[in-house]
Amino acid sequence: MKKFLQLGLGVVTAVGGFVDIGNLVTSGITGARFGASLTWAIIIGTIGMTVYAEMAGRVSAVGGRTVFHAVRERLGVRTALVNMIASGLLNLLTLAAELGGVALVLQLVTGVNYLIWVPIVAAVMWLAIWRLPFTWLENLFGVLGLALIVFVVALFKLPTDWHGLWQQTWHPRVPNGEGHPTYFFYAVSLFGACLVPYQVVFFSSGGREEKWSPGSVTEMRMNSLIGFPLGGLLSIAIMFAAVPVLQPRGVDVAHLGQVALPVTQALGVTGLAIALLGFFAATFAAGAECALSTGYLISQYFGWPWGKMHRPAAAPQFHLVCLAAVIAATGFILTTIDPVTVTLVSVVLGAAAVPLTYFPVLIVANDRDYMGDRVNRRLSNTLGTLFLVVMLVTSLATLPLLFITKAGL
Amino acid sequence: MTRKAATRKATSLMWANEGLLDRLLIGIDGEDVGMVDNLEFSDATPASGAASGAAEPELTALLCGPLAFGPRLGGRIGTWWTAIGRRLRPDGDPAPNRIPIQLVRRISHRGVELAVPATELPNRRVFDWARSRVVDKIPGSGA
Repeated sequence: MKKFLQLGLGVVTAVGGFVDIGNLVTSGITGARFGASLTWAIIIGTIGMTVYAEMAGRVSAVGGRTVFHAVRERLGVRTALVNMIASGLLNLLTLAAELGGVALVLQLVTGVNYLIWVPIVAAVMWLAIWRLPFTWLENLFGVLGLALIVFVVALFKLPTDWHGLWQQTWHPRVPNGEGHPTYFFYAVSLFGACLVPYQVVFFSSGGREEKWSPGSVTEMRMNSLIGFPLGGLLSIAIMFAAVPVLQPRGVDVAHLGQVALPVTQALGVTGLAIALLGFFAATFAAGAECALSTGYLISQYFGWPWGKMHRPAAAPQFHLVCLAAVIAATGFILTTIDPVTVTLVSVVLGAAAVPLTYFPVLIVANDRDYMGDRVNRRLSNTLGTLFLVVMLVTSLATLPLLFITKAGL
Repeated sequence: MTRKAATRKATSLMWANEGLLDRLLIGIDGEDVGMVDNLEFSDATPASGAASGAAEPELTALLCGPLAFGPRLGGRIGTWWTAIGRRLRPDGDPAPNRIPIQLVRRISHRGVELAVPATELPNRRVFDWARSRVVDKIPGSGA
């Protein structure tokens, strides 16, 4: 029974861990502007995330390699260094977006300007990283993040046109009045929100934190193969809920509060409160994971001791990096730059940087010396390679789209 | 079995790039100690006037830290990296941190496993600095 509960908790945590500020913002914006015509981007992104998370988890449990050990081993010092710097900077941008997200939720609840909240949120987040045991950090917020299911409930309360959503999902076309570049820019943003690089770094390092062994592969598979697709479904629910409420009024989502409007309309203040709790948990957890990931990837590149399985005094460089990351991201978001814009830019640049992290995972997952009989099978390799091609194409298209559309305006 | 592994098994040879360079150094206590950044071999050129013939070059130490890592990067960034590393040394000694090959217990799929704990190795300056200057000053560091 205990085993069963533990498995359930892992899955729940994966669901909560999947959704972060990127998914909230992009799903809200696209639902209001494009209806369900971009659902395919979430579906593809979620499948890609699931395939690679399973692979990274397996490499961590069986091969004993976390993502950035594999990066350094397989890409050579120079490429790996560039990779580390790019991924680290991207993490900072994402962390800034998550900090802004938590602060915006607090502004919605208290009416106090989010800029006042940013330093407080950052301090609490760092304290959580410093003091909370790893499993607490992961499970507590994962479970609270499930409050986002309120969007699914709202869908059934709202005058949802299921047939129309189904039609738009499987026969997508660019809505009237929207250009193709804008449409594909938002497709990239949804794709990037599902495939953020820090998640796979965190998933593989988290496996070491929880002392995964080759025997943990089944548990890890449950988490990734059930948890992440359910997280994808939540993102789709957030998008769909926006369609009957925001799209007819032509609301241009520019604030996190607007993403919660459909829930308020369907379920009133109680619904809003639950949705905001979900927003808070998802963004706070993602922020902490992002800061930890920055510590993981830099420490792993240099071979420093890392992780929360150590006392801070036994992994000082790791904790120094985490602290510096929180401070830098706080400084960035305090420049009064719009957190929603930071979110959009971070997921889109994330989509461009994804192959950097995912490619070495695919290579090591194929190494029989490390993986033994847990080496990649044909299914993982076919899907993995297919997604790598999709990611490369996306990656090349990202910057032109970003400039042509001026970040989706 | 991969082709590379087959070659290695047949000849019991090992390639630097495959089993040593950029592999994790693991102390006997299981702690991550650093990365193998560079390798040191004994000088194979016979000293002038040496009585015997040329000696075989032999792997004498694994090198780690910025002074070993900078040259691997190459170019201007590598030079900078090395220069910063040198300035960080208390005595200005330009030689990188050495881990004598005698301290290597075995080379496994996990990495290079050493016969000594992390605390007995020379590459602890950044660790000690981060610990004594920052981490230990914050309450709850577990020091």
